[in-house]
Amino acid sequence: MSYTDYLFLPLTLFGLIFYFIFPIRYRWVWLLIGSLLFFMTWGIELLPLILFIVFLVWGGARIMDYRYEKCDNDRKALAAARKNNQIILFGIIAVLLLIFIFIKMQNFPFFAGISGFFSGIYKTVHQFFLNIPILNYFVSAENGGISIGLSDLFNKILGYQRNSTVFTDPNAKFTYWIIPVGFSYYILSLLGYLADVYWRKERAEMNYFKLLLFTIYFPKILEGPISKHLTVAARLNEGHSFDFQRVSFGLQRVVWGFFKKWVIADRLKILIDTVFNNYEIYKGSEFLVAAVFSAVQLYCDFSGCMDMGLGISECFGVILEENFNHPFSSRSSAEFWRRWHISLGTWFKDYIYMPLSVSPWLIRLTGRIRKRFGKRAGKTFSIVIPLAVVWLLTGLWHGTGANYMVWGLYWGMLIIISNVLEPETKKLTKWLKINTDMPEYHLFQKARTFMLFVISRIISLPRTMEVTRFAFRSIFTNFAPWKLFDGSLFNLGIDRPQFVVVMLAIALLAYVSGKQEKGVNVRQWIADRPLVIRWFIYYAAIFIVLIFGAYGVGYDASSFVYMAY
Amino acid sequence: MREKVLAVLKEEFPEVDFEASDALVDDGVLDSLTITGMIAALSLEFGVIIPYEEIIEENFNSIDSLAKMIERLQK
Repeated sequence: MSYTDYLFLPLTLFGLIFYFIFPIRYRWVWLLIGSLLFFMTWGIELLPLILFIVFLVWGGARIMDYRYEKCDNDRKALAAARKNNQIILFGIIAVLLLIFIFIKMQNFPFFAGISGFFSGIYKTVHQFFLNIPILNYFVSAENGGISIGLSDLFNKILGYQRNSTVFTDPNAKFTYWIIPVGFSYYILSLLGYLADVYWRKERAEMNYFKLLLFTIYFPKILEGPISKHLTVAARLNEGHSFDFQRVSFGLQRVVWGFFKKWVIADRLKILIDTVFNNYEIYKGSEFLVAAVFSAVQLYCDFSGCMDMGLGISECFGVILEENFNHPFSSRSSAEFWRRWHISLGTWFKDYIYMPLSVSPWLIRLTGRIRKRFGKRAGKTFSIVIPLAVVWLLTGLWHGTGANYMVWGLYWGMLIIISNVLEPETKKLTKWLKINTDMPEYHLFQKARTFMLFVISRIISLPRTMEVTRFAFRSIFTNFAPWKLFDGSLFNLGIDRPQFVVVMLAIALLAYVSGKQEKGVNVRQWIADRPLVIRWFIYYAAIFIVLIFGAYGVGYDASSFVYMAY
Repeated sequence: MREKVLAVLKEEFPEVDFEASDALVDDGVLDSLTITGMIAALSLEFGVIIPYEEIIEENFNSIDSLAKMIERLQK
């Protein structure tokens, strides 16, 4: 079940009411039950893996914590304990990494053999749950693909037929088992937690079920944010009382998420797919339009999902980390990545970039280079190595295909070069007498950053580099600018009225984002309006989503893009 | 010690005002790139290893706390 599933919101509202009825001390238990049920709608046979992984991390963290506790703040003893804990830390990382690498690289021949082994386990687990009454409702349906067990039951009651073919391929189904929902998000979250306990930045969680809740919490399981245990656990575990304003704000955010997803992203997707799936017949200008739209589409799809998840979580009183901060207002690539998928960037900063840049061997090496080649060389070296590692891993995290390799290389190079050449750029703008504080210059920087992102979309969007090369070649040698004005754009899957709808929606999004950037709290602004206007806005918002949302007959309700990672 | 630390950092990052506040990290004076540069410079200069668990806001919020951390690590 996804957040856009027709059953999701009614069930969540039902869960919300029960949350506030539960005794306040045990409200987290209700969250755990709800999250488990949500997770099981993807198939109960996915459950053993996540239970096992959480158990591993929970146990490891407790042992490490216990060893530190015994040291009683004695520095020598602590150092010794740390050495021992290293074995646990790296042992667990190795196990998780093996699973992770296996999942991401199963197309490689080497892993195909192991694939058969896991397939066998999958069949056994599947059969096991099929034989248990009631639980067998949660087993993924044989031919139903994403429509699984419980969902199927509801579908039968409601007489609703779903015709998904995504998972009828047995191999795809197996992939689905081994890459369960949100896998790479919760794995990173758990690794972060483990490292924080190892570095004594936080104490271990004593209660297995509380750590399980942190891992499986349903508003963040699909696409993150990649939460920090230190920040979020307390908010999850303490019971929250009902607060009308909070629930109303949360629901508004959910509607805003649907607006981004259904009105903008899913509509643009039709155009983008039209162009890139039949790329041979299109010209440069059409590729450029599709690429620009795909930048907007990805933002609306991903941040829309975040609005739904964070909005729902807000209703329960649990504030999660923001994943986006108006990335299209960024003036440089580095700033862009601090505002886009923030929790992933923070994770890489906290657990890869920082530990690597302060590791004694790197510092020693920096010192040597500095002595030999001067200060600038030393500084450059100490920046380049960690950044290169981070971007290599970021590329790998997104996928192992050639497109993502190039994509990671592209961003890594951009950020490294702009960092290393910073003194020269400063000199250049000074020499050209450019006033870098001018609003016009800022606008230029924003447009430049956006275009750099559009280029990265042309790299990562198509499945193969062949299409990427074709698109770039067309843009530079076969642009056909008249196509932008002769109505051809309305033949790319969405007609003129649809086009107008999507452009108006993007304009509204840009307007609201601009206000938020200036510090206006839009939801507070709405709450401060008189009753009539307030309810007019609520109804208008809901009807806009229902009327202009790209779903229902004729549309293939698409799943969230980032769920695939 | 405080003066020595300040001198090293000033030489490394002339554009940063390290005495601007007592909450350098929280006020956003220092970003992660500057912090890692500071760590490299300080560990090379004073011959200490700054373990990762020492890299917390409290230790980097002012020159005083930095100096205290270095002294503690030199022992």
